[in-house]
Formats: sequence, C-alpha cells, structure tokens
Amino acid sequence: MMAALFKVMAQLVLLLLLAPLVSGFIKTAKARLQMRRGPGVLQPYRDLHKLLRKGMVIPNTASWLFSATPYVVFLATLLAGLMVPMVAADTPVGLVGGVLAVVYLLGLGRFFLALGGLDAGSSFGGLGSSREMTIAALAEPTLMLAVFTVAIGAGSTNLSQMVAAAIGEQWRFLAPSQVLAFAALFLVLIAETGRIPVDNPATHLELTMIHEAMILEYSGPYLALIEWAASIKQLLLMALLINVFWPFGLPAGWSAGGVAAGAGWLAVKLAVLSAGVVLVETTNAKLRLFRVPELMAVAFTLGALALASTFLF
Amino acid sequence: MLLLALLAVPFVAALVSVLARTRRAMETANLAGFGVTFALALMVVSAVLARGPVSVWGGFLYADSLSALVCLLTASVALLCAVYAVGYVREDERSGLFEDAAAGLWQFRKYYSLTPLFVCAMLLVALANNLGVMWVAIEGTTLTSVFLVMFYGKVTSLEAAWKYAIIGGVGLSMALFGTLLAYYSAHRLAGSDTLAGLNWSVLAAHAAELDRTTMRLAFILVLVGYGTKAGLAPMHTWKPDAYSEAPVPAAALLSSALLNCALYGLIRFYILASRCLGAEFPGALLVLLGVLSMGIATPFILLQRNLRRLLAYSSIDQAGIMAIALGLGSKLGALALMLHMTFHSVTKPLLFLCAGNVHQHFKTDLFGKIKGGVLRTMPLTGGVFLMATLAVLGMPPFSMFQSEFLLVRAALGGGHYLATALFVLFGAGIFGGAMFHVGGLVLGAGDGQPAVALRPWRDLSMLALAGVLVMLAFWLPAPLLELIRGAARVITGD
Amino acid sequence: MDFLQNPEFGDRVVTLMAAFVLVLQIAMVGQRSLVMNIRVFAAQSFLLASIAAAIAWYNHAPHIYFAAGMTVIVKAFAVPYLLERLVDRIEIRHEIEPIVNVPVSIVISGGLTLVAYLVGASFYHPEAEPRSLGHNTLAVAISLFLIGFFMMVNRRKALTQVLALLCLENGVFLAAICLTYGMPLIVELGVFFDVLVGVMVLGILVYRIRETFESMDVSKLRRLRG
Repeated sequence: MMAALFKVMAQLVLLLLLAPLVSGFIKTAKARLQMRRGPGVLQPYRDLHKLLRKGMVIPNTASWLFSATPYVVFLATLLAGLMVPMVAADTPVGLVGGVLAVVYLLGLGRFFLALGGLDAGSSFGGLGSSREMTIAALAEPTLMLAVFTVAIGAGSTNLSQMVAAAIGEQWRFLAPSQVLAFAALFLVLIAETGRIPVDNPATHLELTMIHEAMILEYSGPYLALIEWAASIKQLLLMALLINVFWPFGLPAGWSAGGVAAGAGWLAVKLAVLSAGVVLVETTNAKLRLFRVPELMAVAFTLGALALASTFLF
Repeated sequence: MLLLALLAVPFVAALVSVLARTRRAMETANLAGFGVTFALALMVVSAVLARGPVSVWGGFLYADSLSALVCLLTASVALLCAVYAVGYVREDERSGLFEDAAAGLWQFRKYYSLTPLFVCAMLLVALANNLGVMWVAIEGTTLTSVFLVMFYGKVTSLEAAWKYAIIGGVGLSMALFGTLLAYYSAHRLAGSDTLAGLNWSVLAAHAAELDRTTMRLAFILVLVGYGTKAGLAPMHTWKPDAYSEAPVPAAALLSSALLNCALYGLIRFYILASRCLGAEFPGALLVLLGVLSMGIATPFILLQRNLRRLLAYSSIDQAGIMAIALGLGSKLGALALMLHMTFHSVTKPLLFLCAGNVHQHFKTDLFGKIKGGVLRTMPLTGGVFLMATLAVLGMPPFSMFQSEFLLVRAALGGGHYLATALFVLFGAGIFGGAMFHVGGLVLGAGDGQPAVALRPWRDLSMLALAGVLVMLAFWLPAPLLELIRGAARVITGD
Repeated sequence: MDFLQNPEFGDRVVTLMAAFVLVLQIAMVGQRSLVMNIRVFAAQSFLLASIAAAIAWYNHAPHIYFAAGMTVIVKAFAVPYLLERLVDRIEIRHEIEPIVNVPVSIVISGGLTLVAYLVGASFYHPEAEPRSLGHNTLAVAISLFLIGFFMMVNRRKALTQVLALLCLENGVFLAAICLTYGMPLIVELGVFFDVLVGVMVLGILVYRIRETFESMDVSKLRRLRG
C-alpha cells in the first residue's frame, strides 16, 4: 500500500515538474537553431508562477462549464500520465483497458477543452474548437491504430506488459510494424501538441491558430492549469513513444538504482525526441489549414500499414 | 560455333548498315547477311538432324530439333522479307513518303539496321538454353521492333508503337516473374544456384521434381506474358495496330517469325509444366485461350474494313489454332502444331507481301477505297493473294488443310468435343469473312485502272514464296519432315 | 560491431527495408507531383539495392552485390535522370491526374497488398522449411507487382505509365532477390540492359507523342480501332 502510494507520488512529482522543462527545452532549442537567444529553459516555470498569482477575467456569458474545464482537463491529463511508464515499466496506476484508457482520458480532456472554448461565447473560441475537433477526428483513429499495432505485437493492451514485451525482444523496434507505428504516432504527437506543420504554438494569428484560439478567453490560474496540462500531455505522449518503441535501459520495477538509471535514460531519450520535434518545426512551414487533413491522412495510412504489416511479415 | 555464327551474322549486318553511307550498301549488307544467315540455319538443321542436339559454351546456346525448326523458319522469312524490302522501301522513297534525301537515308538506315537486330534477337530466343536469356531476347525483339512499328512517324504509327511497347512491356514483366518462379521451383535441386539452374535442358531433365504449386503459378504468368507477345486473346489488342502501321516486310516478320518465337517460349514452358504437373492443367488453359482467340478474331474478320488489320486478326486466329494444338498434349497434336507453324510461316508472310503490293499501288488499306479489281490491275499479286488466302483458311490442296485436319483428329481423339465444335464453327465464320473481303478485293469490278508492270524485287520475292507454298502442298522434303517430327518429339518428350 | 553479423538483426533490417519499399510504392500512388514520383521511384530502387546488398552480406553471396550495384546505377540514377530530363524537355504540367482519386487509390492499393499476402502465403510455407533471409518479403514483391498494374490502368499520362511499368519491374526484382537470391549473372545483366534500353525507347515514344498530340494523355490515342 505504502509502496503503491510512493510510486503514485513520485510519478506525480515527476510529471508536474518535468513537463514545463520539456516545453522550455524545445522552445530554447528551437530558438538556438534559428540563431536566436531564446527565453531560457526555465521560462515556462516563470510563466506558470506568474499566471497562478494573477487575477482572472471570466466572460459573463460563460456557464459553470467554463470554470470546470481547466480542472477536468488538468486532472484527466494527470491521471493519464500516471498510467504511462516513465522511469520504470511498471506503472503506478493500471486502470482497466490500459492504453485505451489513456487515449480516452486524453479524449475527455480535449472534449472539455472544446466545450470550454465554445462556452466562452467568443467567435475565436468556437473557431478553435471546430478546428481542433477536425484534426482530432483524424488524429485519434491514427493513435488507436498505432496503439493496436503495438498491442497486437505484445499480446496485451496493458502498457506495462507492452513495454515488457518490447524489452524482451532485442531487435523488436526494427520490425516494420513498429517503425511505421512510430512514424504514425510521431505525426500524432506533432498534431496533438500543436506543433508547426499543423499549428504554430508561438503565435496568435487568427487565420491559422487552432489550440490558442480555443483557450483565448482563459486567463490567470485557469490558463496556467490548461497550459500546464498541455505540457503534461506532451510529456506523456513523448514518454509513450519513447518507452514503447525504444525501451532499452528501462527497469521493470521500482528499485532505487533502476529508477535512477531509468530517469537518466528518460532524460537522454527525451532530449533526442525533442530534438526531432525541433528539427521538424524549424525545417517545415506551417501547412494551410485545409492541407492539414491530408497530413493526417498520411499518418492514418501509415498507421493502417503498420497494422497490416504485423500480419504481412 | 555454328550457333554463334548464326547470331553474329545478322548482328554484323546491322552494324554495317549503321555505318554504311549509301542506300545500296545497306541493301547489300542486308541481303548478304540474311543470305548467309539462311545458309547457316540450313547447316544448323543438318547438324541437328545428323547428330542430335547441338550446344556451345557449356550449354549456353542449345539447339534441338525445335530450336532448329524455329531458326530455319525465322531465317527463311527474314531472307524473303529482305528481298521484298528492297523494292518496298525504294517505292516508299519514290512515292515521296520521306521528306528529303537526308530523311530518306535516315529511314533506310533505320529499317536496314533494326531489321537484322530484330532477326538476331529472334534467333537468340530460339537458341538460348537459359530461360532468363530467352526472356531477355524476347524483350529484345520488342525493343528492336518498336521503331519499326513507328517507322512512318504518323499519328497512328505512334499510337500503334505505344500500345505495342506498353502492352508488350507489361506482358513481358509477367513472363519475367513466371521465369523467376520457374527458377524458384527448382531451388531444392542441387546445383540450382549456378548459371545452369535456369537452363531449360537442366530443368526439363528434373521437371518431375520441381515444386508443383510454384510451377503452376509460373506457367500461368508465362502463358499470359508470352501469350501477349503471341497475340492470344484477350492480350491481342496491340496486334492489329502494329501490323497495320509497320512497313509491310516488317509486319510480315512480326506476323510469322515473331509469332513463332513467342510460341516457342510458351512451348518450352509448356514442356516443363506438363512434365511437372501433367498435361491436364497447362493444356486446359492453352485450349481455353486458343478458342477465345479464335472466337474474338471471328467477328472482327467478318466486319473488317482494313486489309492489313484483317491479316492481323487472321494472325490472332492462327495463334489461337496453334495454342489449341499445343494444349491437346498428344503426339498428334504436337505434330499438328509443328506442321501448322511451318506452313503458317510460309503463308502469312506471303499474304503480307501481297497486301504490301496492294497497299503501295492503291495507297490505302481500306476495302471501301480500293473497290476491288486487284486481279485486273495486278494480275500476279491478285492471283497469289487469292491462293494464299485459300491456303491460310485451310483449303485443300494447300498444306494448312493437312495440319488443321490433324488437329481436329487429335482433338477428337483427346475427347475435346466442345473445343472441336467451336474450332469448326469459328473456322467457318473466319472462312466466310476472309473470303468475302479478299474475294471482293481481288475479283471485284474495280475502277478499271491499267495493269502495272512487273516490279522485280517485290513481285519476284512474292512469286518465290508462292512457289514454296505450292511446293509444300504437294511435296514436303524428307529432311524438313524429319525436322518437324523431331520438334514434335521434343514437345511430347520421347 | 558484432551485431552486423547477427542474422536476426539482418532479418529485421531486410524486413524493415521491404516495408519501406511498400510505403514508397503507396506514396507513389498517393503522390500527385510527377517529379516527386520519379524521385520516390529512385528512392525505392535504392532501397531495393540495399536489400540486395544486405542479403548478399548475410548469405555471403558476393554475386548479389553485383545486382545491387547495377540496381543503384541503372534504376536509382540512370533511369530517374533520363526521366527527369524528359520531364524538363517536354515541359508538361507536373501534376498527375489519376482516373480514380487519391484516397480511393490508396484504399485499392491496400486491398491489393492483402491479395498479394494471400497469394504469397499460398505457395510459400515458412513452417515447412528453415526460415531463410528475406523470404517473408515475397508478399511485398507481389504487391509491388499488383500495385504497378493498378497504376498502369489508373493513369492517363504516357510518362506515368512508364513509371508504372518500372514499378512492375521492381516487384519482379524484389521477388528475384528474396526468393532465389538473384538470377544467374548473365540474366541479371541482360535484364538491366533491357530496362535501360526500354526506358530510352519509351522515352523517345513519350517525346514523340507529346510533340504530335500536344499532350501526353494516352486516352487521346484512339484512332486505331476494330
């Protein structure tokens, strides 16, 4: 009982503290790659700190949904985060459905976010919600396909078992189904975290913004919660990618030495994956909005091919 | 050495034509080259008859009776066409089909260098022991003849060449897949990794041990692939276009020598498949495609308006007949096939030569524009044309009657009643259609043009071939018959 | 670097590259730009050559290196170069207009892959004999072949049909590499020679068609009938 509680606490702290750092790291790395100085890796913490102390403006058309949304989103994302292996294959919380529960918790968060955007009553919120849902409609099936592919290979949808299966087989990550699923999931990561070919996290340009439009009416602590949840979601998806596809160095249980090694590997692999994201963001231009579904269709095709190739080879 | 020389001579003739500066030099190179080729083919035949299969380079080139027969037919058709071509292409120049002297020389060079290359590729098909090399050679026949089909550079010639190249290319890539699978079917045999692993003689010796499922798929693919090249329906669509657009001597080569080569490839695979799977499966497919080809050719012949397209559909019909003969799988069927192939290689080029004369005189191929009267305008051509048409339709006393009669006997003996009934039915339809059109063309009233003088190159080569046709009707030389029997024995394997 | 000697690693790498070959084939079906299509073809040929080289390495069969080298020279460089020059020369519009639209084409390609899998499974039985390197890519080879056919009938432009024909050829090449570890050397040589000459011949044809018809649309080639 105590051990379980300890695991939950440890992963909670890790999620809460590490998530803004990853965002900051990506932001700084991007700036450096574009020959700018950038705000420094700690900037997201300062932003959160500032936002949490500020007052709020709530639109007078808003209902209780508007105030409930930040909490629902934050808690759903955090719960999903507890179900993903971070520093050990064993997850602190293992709900029924395993990885499917993670997908649906993220879906719940997005659903409320879209509702919150609509509830504020401004035209931007509605616009952002509609765009977000359009992309999600394609990103979510892709996520499911990729997850199924891995689950079929492992014979389970339980994330701990999936990771354990991946550790067990030496060259598994080179199997075509795994590589294609990884590619599909990477595109989903780009879309879900609002990164450049899909959305630009750095601007508030009304023609193109998606995620930012949806949360335009939020301010103060509510905004802090939503931003924090977004960075946790990003960390969670990255950890999912890392630990399912490149699980080397990941310990099976929560021994002290193992966790330390696992944390070290996690840091290295996060840095590599973030570098990949940064590279994609700097080398690509943002797609026109109606071309985004085409990109997602590519991701979907990759996912379908991944699923097919588990049977093909 | 003989086999090498047989391949080298037309190749050298092509090289000389590429380098030659005058039209006369090219014509001489071609005539001499094909003359020597024909002589060499006769020597190969006599060697095979005397000593059995000949091979060179450790079995790389290999000639048994079947190869020798195909070589002989190719070489003789090529020689006659070369003689005819001299008159034909000169007439093209005289009637102003080429823009100026330089363009004319370029056209001559194209014809006289590509034709020997084409013949060389066809001879390689017959002589290659390795099935892969045979495929390369058959693809080579496409590549060398595409520009012959495109010779006149008209809109329609482009269309014909495109269809020929693309349909041929797709068909041949299937054949390559089939060849590969045949190679794979032998992978359990010792020594299949060496060059000899794809040699027909090696595979045929071990045919019973080949992997059956793989062989079945291989035969289907090769049947479709080489069947495309032979113009079996439903892969025949390139044929009427290519035949009607190519210069007539080239079309004559396409319709007889190339058809033989494609069938030759099919026969080699049929032998492997029938020894591995039994004659039932490959035979049924061949009979099916053969009857289908005849059936598709019939309405197109009945309603045809273009002389050379009529001949092309007749060629599809003949390919169908030969496929049926092969598919019967009996000794009688194999004999009928080889006889038919021989007689067809005499008759079909003759028809094309006549059609060429008609085309160059009237400047069109359309029955509606010629309005008959060929017999009056060109008595020789008209007479020979009528005779050759009767021959190709299997009328006695011409020899194709014998082979088709044998075929029907073999089919009835093998219990293929439905196929025989359809064969007779379609044969009757084709007879009616072809006789109606050609009869109208030759005997019709015409518009009273004066008779033309004898044109030595074209008329004499045509007459020579007609002489062969008449000769074969009454007297088959003993060595030729022996060769044909030998070729039939290669198919049935005893 | 001892994992380079590990046959299990070799198997993984070959399978992975075969999967990428299939992905590129489907990308070719989905890609609208003609030039990109040619480049994807080049990349696919390059991958095929890599597969051949990997099989040569793990089976210690040096003659396959020759096939790999020829593939790189002929199909990854010479043929794409010729085709791109042709595209420049004839100044065509660089968009492919398939008959069936792109998403449906991709779905059809997926279906064909399934058919290929069934065909391949019907005569290749991994349990019956010891597993040998690359044999599991047979399904990919067959699906390249089938998708090549589909591309052939789905495209109107002459040049894209040439590309489809080349894809068919690639399918046969992959089958040759993975089933029989290549064909005898002289046959390989002949096949490559034929491919190169074939592309030149078809290129000249495409050029002449373009000049004569002011278009590459082969559905305009409909004068010869009956």
